[in-house]
Amino acid sequence: MIEREALELDILFVGAGPASLAGAIHLKRLLQESGQNANIGILEKAVEVGAHSLSGAIVDPRALRELFLDKNDQDFPFEAEVSEEHLYYLTDNKKIPFPFIPPSMNHHGCFVASLGKLTRWLSEICENEDIDIFCGFAGTELIYDEDRIIGVRTGDRGIDKNGAQKPQFEPGADIYAKIVVLGEGTRGSLTKKLIHKHNLMDGRNSQVWALGVKELWQMPAGTVQSGYVAHSMGFPLGHDIFGGAFLYGMKNDIWNLGLVVGLDYKNPGVDSHHEFQNLKTHPWIRSKLEGGKVIAYGAKSLPEGGWYSIPKLSVNGAMLIGDSAGFLNGQRLKGIHLAMKSGMLAAETISIALAENNFTEIKLGDYEDRMKSSWIKDELLKVRNFHQGFDHGLFGGLTNAGIGLLTAGRGWGFKDRLTSEAGHLQMEKGLKKDRYKDLQFDGTYLFDKVTDIYHSATSHEEDQIPHLHVNEPDICITKCAEEYGNPCENFCPADVYEMVPDGENQRLQINFSNCVHCKTCDIMDPYQIIDWVPPEGGGGPTWINL
Amino acid sequence: MKIAVLIKQVPGSESPLPLNSTQTWVDEPQVTYTMNPPDNYALEEALLIKENVGDGEVVAVSLGPERVKKVIREGLAKGADRGIYLEENSQIETDPLSIARSFASVLQDENFDLILTGLQSDDAGMGQTGVLIGELLGLSTATLAVQTNIQDEQIRVKRELESGWFQWVKLPLPASISIQSGLNTPRYPSLKGIMGAKKKEIRVIPASEHQTAEKTQTIKKVFVPQTTKKTEVIEGNADTAAARILEILKSDVKVL
Repeated sequence: MIEREALELDILFVGAGPASLAGAIHLKRLLQESGQNANIGILEKAVEVGAHSLSGAIVDPRALRELFLDKNDQDFPFEAEVSEEHLYYLTDNKKIPFPFIPPSMNHHGCFVASLGKLTRWLSEICENEDIDIFCGFAGTELIYDEDRIIGVRTGDRGIDKNGAQKPQFEPGADIYAKIVVLGEGTRGSLTKKLIHKHNLMDGRNSQVWALGVKELWQMPAGTVQSGYVAHSMGFPLGHDIFGGAFLYGMKNDIWNLGLVVGLDYKNPGVDSHHEFQNLKTHPWIRSKLEGGKVIAYGAKSLPEGGWYSIPKLSVNGAMLIGDSAGFLNGQRLKGIHLAMKSGMLAAETISIALAENNFTEIKLGDYEDRMKSSWIKDELLKVRNFHQGFDHGLFGGLTNAGIGLLTAGRGWGFKDRLTSEAGHLQMEKGLKKDRYKDLQFDGTYLFDKVTDIYHSATSHEEDQIPHLHVNEPDICITKCAEEYGNPCENFCPADVYEMVPDGENQRLQINFSNCVHCKTCDIMDPYQIIDWVPPEGGGGPTWINL
Repeated sequence: MKIAVLIKQVPGSESPLPLNSTQTWVDEPQVTYTMNPPDNYALEEALLIKENVGDGEVVAVSLGPERVKKVIREGLAKGADRGIYLEENSQIETDPLSIARSFASVLQDENFDLILTGLQSDDAGMGQTGVLIGELLGLSTATLAVQTNIQDEQIRVKRELESGWFQWVKLPLPASISIQSGLNTPRYPSLKGIMGAKKKEIRVIPASEHQTAEKTQTIKKVFVPQTTKKTEVIEGNADTAAARILEILKSDVKVL
């Protein structure tokens, strides 16, 4: 019997992203106002807060303003207010401006920001308000008392690649809490278990995802206008793959360039990293990068399903917030303000639950009611069928989005709810079609995955069990090789999956130490046999300002 | 047993290390920082000595900009009893003698029995600070300890020499010892350790109180070495190839 450290808190947030950090700060203040006191802790698997935070990002300051009534926009750690915005349709070598930018895609009054900087800033406020943030600890299991969640077990540390204990072995700790709030971010590993066990997606649309891949470019002094914003559709994805590119001007002459690719494409050969490299062959993008140097790389999946893909938000002793619950506005390309607001609404319910000492599903359901009478609903309901329209290609999607503007979000103008199918089910069997024959990694503008991973500053303890669990590896060699041609080699933006020769056959090699924690494999594997579990705490990318 | 452990914060080894615009050091905002790994072994050794002796105090000491408080707190989370933070506003690496003088001026009033340092920092790699402090404070000093043993008022240290040789030396306390990496397995901080660390004292020494002397060195330029790759295909039979390889090893690579 292993003796574990046990810790009793009142409230435990899992994942120090914008949802948890805002939720914890709001909760602390609500408790102070009502004369209550509670121990609040936040678990974070990264070595420090912000190291696993990645977003575009253009931030709608609405939630921040509500959370910090005493602060001005200038006090927030933004890069710059959006000063100029463009929306283009890209052909292979031209850019055609959209005749107008629809109000729902207008970023006026919003701010270009780095999520990593924002979460670090919020974490400092937490520290000052006596909220404990435990970095380097991953939540690996939910602790139950019958059907009630009573805590989280953190991962063991110091286990070698064969599963044996190393000298510094430290068993995971049991953290008990009256309420566990899962703000793990996109496709959270505990969230996945919770949703499955409690059937929280019953009656909802399947969540559909996209993958964002981005690089930061340091440009010569005086060449980048901070607050510049451009979005594009068309090249390189074409009309059949959902997604588009973004280019934002940050402080200190840094370009923030990225591509979002819907994880519901049909060709198993689609490779988001390669699409992103292709984007940089466009003359317009290339001209923007002239004389610059790449300084950072990262990737993260994002929940695109919208309003009808939001799971039931509460069970006995636990709640879901932020990306873990799918709070993202796909049309506005924004989720940070929704994530923060969801954390704050959860905090309001928690404050009441603590006062009444009642942590049942019914009591915690108050959070979902609050969400449904907040601006989260107003905002998401209007764009509830946005992503679904793109099942009919780019023009279908734009038409649907356009009609949606006039009909308060109805699909094709009359349907209240369009359904969607999980992205991995849409991949078509048959040979991969190679979209990258002409792509040459020149090492100056275009990089192979290994070079980009170097810029993601990713590392994991090498002597541990790989954290990508492939439950039936035989399928990779037989069925998947035949049916889909091993799309894991393509959809992973970090070269984690590699089919290597093994005698006369092939075998799957998992380069887990490359993993940037984007969760795409867990989402996109056509057989759903890949289980992403947290590696030893502290592992992963060390992003600074992504 | 009162032990000071000197802990430096260095750029993480996974960072790509871009240089600043004046080419005098790494570009601070683009780099993540971590506890200097050799100092982690020194910290562990200090905690083990304290646990073996049964009483005493381990003090985590660091110098640098505000951010270095993080490594002090990490030390406190792992079990150090309190911290001392020497403020330093320059973001550019300072020479070991100036640093040692700063530390010595602060540490001398504390009367430590032991001052432990990692063998070197992973960024500048000078490996001198511990030795210089020992000299400035008139302490007995040893480097590259792979084993330590406290006996009464003495410390026995097994030192690593070259070519696989070791040396046992006995030093009177107080002493300044630099610790070779790998002699122990540093512990992980516990949750309770992290919570408890907040309540532990970190004494802040303003720059004006410890920076007494002029800096003796300045960094002129930091640059990335040019990598050159030269491939030579050696033709001919095994004997000619072997002769050519021998020549290369002797005259070009100079390892024979």
